[in-house]
Amino acid sequence: MTASHAVAAPADAILRIEGLVKRFGGLVAVDNVSFGLERGDILGIIGINGAGKTTVMNCINGIYHADGGQIFCNGRNITKLSPHAIAKAGIGRTFQVPRIFHRMTLIDNLLVTSLDSSESDAVLIERAEHFLERVNLAELRYNHGEELSGGQQKLLELARVMMFDPALILLDEPFAGVNPSLCRLFIERIQDLQRDGKSFALVSHDLTSIYKLSNNIIVLNQGQVIAEGGVEDIKNDPAVIEAYLGQ
Amino acid sequence: MSEVLVWNAMIGGIVFGMVYALIGCSLNVLAGVLRVINFAHGEFIIAGSFFAYALFTGLGLHPLLSLPICAVAFFVAGRGLYYLLVPRLARSDEPETSSFLLMFGVSLMLIAAMTWIFEADIRPLNFTFDPINVTLFTIENAYGEGRHGRVLIPTARIVALVINLFIIVGLTWYFYRTLPGKALRAATMNREAIQIVGINIHRLSSMAFGLATSLAGITGVLLALVIPSIDPNGGADIALIGFVVIVLGGLGHPVGALFAGIIFGFVEQFSNLMLPQAAAQMVGFIILVAVIFLKPSGLFGRSVLR
Amino acid sequence: MSSLTSMDEAKASRIRHTLWFGLIGVVVLWFGSIPILDGNQSLYFSLMLWVTMATSFNIIAGFTGYMPFGFVAFYGMGTYTAAILVSIVKVSPYIAIPASGLAGVLIALLFAPTLRLGGIYFAIVSLSLAVILQRIMGLAPEDITGGSGGLNLGQHTVREQGFYAMLIVLVAALATVTWLTRSRLGKALRAIRDDAQAADAMGINVQRSRLYAWLLSALFASLCGGIQAWFTGALDPVTAFDVLITAKTVIYAMAGGLGTVTGPVIGTVILVWVDELIWRQFPVLNSFLLGLIIALLILFMPRGIIGTLMQKYPRCRRLIM
Repeated sequence: MTASHAVAAPADAILRIEGLVKRFGGLVAVDNVSFGLERGDILGIIGINGAGKTTVMNCINGIYHADGGQIFCNGRNITKLSPHAIAKAGIGRTFQVPRIFHRMTLIDNLLVTSLDSSESDAVLIERAEHFLERVNLAELRYNHGEELSGGQQKLLELARVMMFDPALILLDEPFAGVNPSLCRLFIERIQDLQRDGKSFALVSHDLTSIYKLSNNIIVLNQGQVIAEGGVEDIKNDPAVIEAYLGQ
Repeated sequence: MSEVLVWNAMIGGIVFGMVYALIGCSLNVLAGVLRVINFAHGEFIIAGSFFAYALFTGLGLHPLLSLPICAVAFFVAGRGLYYLLVPRLARSDEPETSSFLLMFGVSLMLIAAMTWIFEADIRPLNFTFDPINVTLFTIENAYGEGRHGRVLIPTARIVALVINLFIIVGLTWYFYRTLPGKALRAATMNREAIQIVGINIHRLSSMAFGLATSLAGITGVLLALVIPSIDPNGGADIALIGFVVIVLGGLGHPVGALFAGIIFGFVEQFSNLMLPQAAAQMVGFIILVAVIFLKPSGLFGRSVLR
Repeated sequence: MSSLTSMDEAKASRIRHTLWFGLIGVVVLWFGSIPILDGNQSLYFSLMLWVTMATSFNIIAGFTGYMPFGFVAFYGMGTYTAAILVSIVKVSPYIAIPASGLAGVLIALLFAPTLRLGGIYFAIVSLSLAVILQRIMGLAPEDITGGSGGLNLGQHTVREQGFYAMLIVLVAALATVTWLTRSRLGKALRAIRDDAQAADAMGINVQRSRLYAWLLSALFASLCGGIQAWFTGALDPVTAFDVLITAKTVIYAMAGGLGTVTGPVIGTVILVWVDELIWRQFPVLNSFLLGLIIALLILFMPRGIIGTLMQKYPRCRRLIM
């Protein structure tokens, strides 16, 4: 990582990462990564397997503690916070393999995000039903999570994060294992949310969707940012092409 | 404090410490390969002692002769138990918690079975060695003018110590110099990776289970040599010692357990010597809790905190 | 798959709760009349005791997924606190019992840091704690804990009062879990049980929620121990910290179904009857069967009777909690 890649993110950046480092034993999974994400933007994060994409996500939302560097959300340093505090600071996420609450009803799965809310249960339930409707799961709202198919579980995660209403949403491989029609629904919802002013960091293998959705893209390889910029820049960047096709 | 007592504590530290090392080592084979803490391990060990007892009282077989028979029988039983119990567990909601519960159930069954067969009394094992004791050396005027103190060690304990040493050397050689031993160590490091390399994890795990059970049986026989009385309800105490040792040596780290066992042997002998009874009992537990909170990776191991 | 409207669900919820509270009411009247009608007090007492134990175990194990294998530690602490206060300090049981509950909570607070360990370490420390407390009580000076012979408080206490105290604690425990299933804390706990990391990522303070469950669970278990000392009038370290107490609690709760309100109750009622009727005849076989049942439950019906019903017939969820 050279200084030229360090983004001088504007003051109103929703997310700013400076020199992030994460090691596992001797392996440096994330090596001095810096980038910024502006409010209302979708940032695509791409890279081959093991490039460190999910590790970056896990550092941002506090599941991993960074070994070096700083993470700011809305100008606030969140590097040392625990996941639930980071969630409260306005960062929500989905997981690569859906992690729903499998022995709770779909409604309860959504309510989990709002347990500290001062609103009444009735209001929250109504809102949860609304979001389940948006992802076509309203019919099943009193079923348990474990009764859903894999694709439906991904949608439930999306509804859960919508219910949660964070300013920044981290999506980890949202389109993996999802059939094309669900995938379209997913993309529509992401675009709706973006119109509502939400920001996204999107990790995916699926370059087509990334190119379609992202305002900016960063490319990770072996834990380092090897390229960043707009969609067109990335498509034509020789370093990216080499990382994906070369070796 | 009498010098003789200090010498006795040192000798006890080595003899018991080596036994503890063996307990920890077998627990760690399971903890490392299967991610299971065997709550029935104390009972497995007592069962080993009873095995020797039964062969001795039934057939007049000396515990030294029953040792290899026990090793083989327990190995076979352990592998059988593995295939009976463990593969089903993988399908459960919470494999880890379920495995604890399962072994907890097995330990209750073993206690009941042993109490039923051998009754609740503590059983003495009346084998003899000739001579009964070996005098290591004499300390002059140990108990005052003209009263010499002899530092003794029962022959049975020397025998147990020597066998124990051979087993531990053998185990170390097995873990570091043989292919199956290396596979076991590899599995403790990365259970997923080893399957990619083409090793049948079920076969390996059943070997680990068999090995651990066999070691537990051997430990039981050695324990019967060191303390020739067997208590069917003593499993919990043995298990507690085992937990202290594996935590101290690093969870899932068979060689760490060897050092930790000896350290704990000394700590235990000297706290028995120097502390009031109730306090001495707590030392192990305090070590356990302190290590878990201060250095969860153990004295030698790596972090396994979730 | 069934689909329901909110109306249906609200109605089903009302039916569920009416059924449940009706059942509790019947039990209170029935059990409350036992001492008056000269019924089998010991049997009914042990039913109440074990339902409460299984229910309080359910709060930590069923709702948060932690298995304290040394659960008996709380019970034993309660037993000893009550017995020492009554027979040695000579206070009234009405003060000693709340104090025993407090003692359980204090021990739980002391070991609350183990909650962040989880998994193997939590299991080890919890099991070891029970073993070590038993030893300490047995080896402590006789004028404090009675040593290995234990304590006798029979002449200071009235059996029937202990019986009714148990009934009150039973109802309190059932009310607490009922509240817990509906409360936000209960939702947080179940989310943590299903996936602690995901719950954390959704803004739930995992440590704090678990702590509440842990303390509640310890409170009821230690009250059970205290009242058991009151009712039976005697105790010793072997029985007060008997591993079989943990075993029974686990089995009763699991047989019915951890994480459900009714499961531990139903599991206990069935198995305590079986216990009284059959196993009592063969004390040695008793603990063998307990072990066997744990193993069989784990292997073949890990969700218990109610849990399996709910899993196989989702419609049942409308009627049982």
